[in-house]
Amino acid sequence: MPVSLFTFHSLTLTVSNFVKSYHTDAGPPVLTVPSLAFAPGFHYFRGGNGSGKTTFLRCVAGLLPFSGTIVLDNAYEINRDPVAYRMRVNYAEAEPLYPDFLTPRDLASFVGRAKLSPVGQTDELIDVLGMRDFWTKPTGQFSSGMLKKTSLLLALLGTPRLVLLDEPLTTLDVETAQRLFIHVRQLREQHDVSFWLTSHQDVSLTGLPLTGIWQVGHGGIVPVT
Amino acid sequence: MLTVLYRLLVLPFYVRNAGTFLVVVLLAFGFMRPMDHEALITAALGSPFLLSVIIGLWTLYTYRTLSFVRSQLAAPEHLFLDTLRLVPTPTRGLFWLILFGELLLPVIGYAVWMLARAVHYGAWGAFLIIIIALITLVTLAAVGADYRLRHHPPNAFRLPRTSVKLRYELFFPTYWLRHKPLSLLLTKLISGGLLMGVCRLYPTDDYDERLLLIGMMLALITHSRVAQELHDFEHRYLIFLPNLPLSMTQRLTRYALTYGLLWLPELLLLWRNVPATVSVGYVSLLWLTGWGWLLLLHVLAYGRDVSPERWQTGVFSGFIIGLLAIMFGLPVSAWLLVGWGGAAGLGYFWSSGLKGTEDSQR
Repeated sequence: MPVSLFTFHSLTLTVSNFVKSYHTDAGPPVLTVPSLAFAPGFHYFRGGNGSGKTTFLRCVAGLLPFSGTIVLDNAYEINRDPVAYRMRVNYAEAEPLYPDFLTPRDLASFVGRAKLSPVGQTDELIDVLGMRDFWTKPTGQFSSGMLKKTSLLLALLGTPRLVLLDEPLTTLDVETAQRLFIHVRQLREQHDVSFWLTSHQDVSLTGLPLTGIWQVGHGGIVPVT
Repeated sequence: MLTVLYRLLVLPFYVRNAGTFLVVVLLAFGFMRPMDHEALITAALGSPFLLSVIIGLWTLYTYRTLSFVRSQLAAPEHLFLDTLRLVPTPTRGLFWLILFGELLLPVIGYAVWMLARAVHYGAWGAFLIIIIALITLVTLAAVGADYRLRHHPPNAFRLPRTSVKLRYELFFPTYWLRHKPLSLLLTKLISGGLLMGVCRLYPTDDYDERLLLIGMMLALITHSRVAQELHDFEHRYLIFLPNLPLSMTQRLTRYALTYGLLWLPELLLLWRNVPATVSVGYVSLLWLTGWGWLLLLHVLAYGRDVSPERWQTGVFSGFIIGLLAIMFGLPVSAWLLVGWGGAAGLGYFWSSGLKGTEDSQR
């Protein structure tokens, strides 16, 4: 039976027999999760540098291979239903890097089309993240904060059920962070979108009501009581 | 410090250009015997024009090594190399000379061969010119690299930016053009040159269409590293790609369009140079076949943990087997089917096989 912090009638995501190893034939796995269930809401993953937070989020996003199962909403398994799963799980990387000749418009056009972004969504997100001034400028001219805004915008495109935000506070200015988390809260309340966050900053700055806090480290993930 | 520089600037150059080296070796030592080289060297030692052509080729190669070093110095992950500026100039200069000595080894090797022949024939004028050319090339390359280290690129050459919205299919071609223009140019020049060469050679003797197939295979070999380049580009800059809800068909279609764009110049060349006794339909089919094989090479190489040496060995072995199949008369339509069918089949097989592997690990 999966371990859960709280009892909910519907589960956002379950992880079973999860093993992530960088060297498949040798060495110990970097992360092992026998069984976990994550309720809808806001989940915060904490842990030191190199503890495996980003690796776990990337596996859940379908960016890294692993062994085990990850099932969304009791219906979509990451490997069995790769397209349906990825339509519902988005990811914003901690330290984004894009081709220097592409603009946020180019990237959003491509990702938005793949994620079936609703009409008007991109425009709304441009305003939330304050990207209007550099929307058609190549990312080669961007500061790390502008790159971060681009990655957050891409992660909010479409109609996800779960958005993974890896270090969303890093390099983001205070005003944008406030607007972002107001928007995130609206998505949670109005569209039942869940969010997982990692952060080395004070997570209370987000003002989000956390559903669960998880400690990542020593090759595993455990709930913080 | 020299070891770090070697691992960042010399080794990757040889690894990334292994495909080009393979083609050059195939052309230089496959079609030409050692005695032909001896004859060429002897002629060059006595002909200032021929000698200048050879030195011109060395200059082109040196420029390629310098471009590579400069692009490596500009890469964000290599910014720490800026500390090299703190090393005293004489020591730094010596480092550059050693590094470019290593990068120019193919040139130096051939030059030593020529020098030995020059001594043998007593061609001291040519001997001196070769020595001066080598010293000049290594020194100029060292100065060029050091200049790049001390001057950051606001005034560097940049292709003009357009305000046109770029589609995904154009991402990699644009990256290749903007970041590795020489690599793109040389790949296209060699590939196009080979196809043009066989088209021109065709009417000079009693050749049949198999010659054109061999030409296409050689043109494909010049593209054998493209899939790895594409993977490196996407793995570094478009990390979100695996998260996109795209089916295998959608992904393969997008890659097919990208390769179609990259392969398009060859179609224009084939149409322009089609031999009189060969139909336009045949060369179009030949081009379609090449397109399918590019996609097959992509499926075989993209994201797979295959060492460059192993990959080049595989490509070379494939070339030999292909050559035999062509000699025994395997028609272009069969090549077309194998290319496109293989790309689609392997694409689906590996996408489902991946799931199977992961399941079996549970």
